[in-house]
Amino acid sequence: MGDILMPMLHLRARMNLLFASGPAPLEVDFKLTAGSLTGLCGPSGSGKTTLLRILAGLTVPDSGMMRVGDRIWLDTAQKIQVPTQQRKVGMVFQDAALFPNMTVRQNVEFAAESRRDSLVDELLALVDLENLADRKPATLSGGQRQRVALIRALARRPEVLLLDEPFSALDYETREQLLGELVRLHRQFGTTTVLVSHHQEEIQRVADNILELKQGKVTNFGSPYTAEKESLNPVTGIVNEVNVRETTTQLQIRLTSPIITVNVPSDTKEWHIGEAIAVSIDPQTLTRKAD
Amino acid sequence: MTDFDWQPLLLTFRLATTTTLLLLLVGIPLAGWLAFTRFRFKPVIEAVISLPLVLPPSVLGFYFLLAFSPTGFLGEQLLAWFDLRLLFTFEGLVVASIFYSLPFMVHPVQAGLENLPASLREASYTLGKSRRETFFRVLLPNIKPSLLTGLVLSFAHTIGEFGLVLMIGGNLPGQTRVASVAIYDEVELLHYGAANAYALLLLVISFGILLTVYAINKRWVIF
Repeated sequence: MGDILMPMLHLRARMNLLFASGPAPLEVDFKLTAGSLTGLCGPSGSGKTTLLRILAGLTVPDSGMMRVGDRIWLDTAQKIQVPTQQRKVGMVFQDAALFPNMTVRQNVEFAAESRRDSLVDELLALVDLENLADRKPATLSGGQRQRVALIRALARRPEVLLLDEPFSALDYETREQLLGELVRLHRQFGTTTVLVSHHQEEIQRVADNILELKQGKVTNFGSPYTAEKESLNPVTGIVNEVNVRETTTQLQIRLTSPIITVNVPSDTKEWHIGEAIAVSIDPQTLTRKAD
Repeated sequence: MTDFDWQPLLLTFRLATTTTLLLLLVGIPLAGWLAFTRFRFKPVIEAVISLPLVLPPSVLGFYFLLAFSPTGFLGEQLLAWFDLRLLFTFEGLVVASIFYSLPFMVHPVQAGLENLPASLREASYTLGKSRRETFFRVLLPNIKPSLLTGLVLSFAHTIGEFGLVLMIGGNLPGQTRVASVAIYDEVELLHYGAANAYALLLLVISFGILLTVYAINKRWVIF
């Protein structure tokens, strides 16, 4: 599936919303490249979820246009509104929204084209959920639930994958683990993805693009580096220059730039040498020592 | 006890079963529509459905009497087109009972649907499922306790009908003489033994039904 060229997405929308500070329009106009992972961030109440819902067709903007590949999903001027059911979107909700009456496998099968779809087993295996396939969602942990929600969305074979703060209610360790799995699945399936998160640092590590919203307006759109650039201190500026994003696991990973070199120690017990990984340094965690 | 007859009890349960089954067909789609519609006049519809909760059954019975009578608008049309009489017949009792017990089916089911997280419905839509498929495969299976409550309350409420039956059904053995009417009738004739038999059976059966529902609902914890 990874080699299918995924469509580019173009959304232009305007919608009057009520923010904490009063009514203001949500106004966006952006294009996403095929197969990209875009991090959608911004303070709470900035319109992130509304934007995601517009992409999914769950909310209709006052005016706007949306194109995915060569198809129009929305054009208010021409009164075109493709219903959610007919958009090939996969959506992961904050509360996972698993169907309590179905088992893990039935939840995933519900999204697949048929019960015998081999993708169901493939996805269950990919996130290590084969053993829990016959369990009901109520018996799963928060992290397991979000894993099921993620593969259920992928079982739909979506053209656009939308994730609405899927890991926000999880503890740090589980969140890190799931983020890693998301990156892995994104690489494997190559689905154009939009990830909403209020953890800026989280988005910086995994996203190709950052789309920052504030009071319904896009205040920043571009690579994670440029989005962060203006607020950087000298240390984080240097680190960002050397921040590599993809490599393979080795005994020690060396990130080099003309300015500095950083050695990242790797725990070889956890890693298999030669495996593809993404590495980055969180600039906020570094301090500058006196010479 | 010599006047005791099983017929009124059997008729009561036939009426309650028929009414409940028809209410399932009418009440569930209606509850589903009310739970999710943005129709402007939804409060009007809700008020009409809830009327039997507050109106004396005799008021309802009186208007049914007018409507169902062979000279009334509805009665005349039904007679002319379908040769159907609703006054003093079992069919008439079923139709009236559906209206009378409608809120007992609609309210629990509507509340159950409204209490489900919206994300369940929306997740199903994003997975490409139609409204109908979402309703039957995702929403209804997750409100089993509400469905059971609606089912049993409708059944029990129909068993308890009295005033309405008396107004439009009368007291025809095998046709409209249900247990509640039989009790009244036996007391009027000072047949306390027979009245007590009907009353005690209704009491025990109704209690048994309600107890079963509460016991089952306690076990059904889905979230």
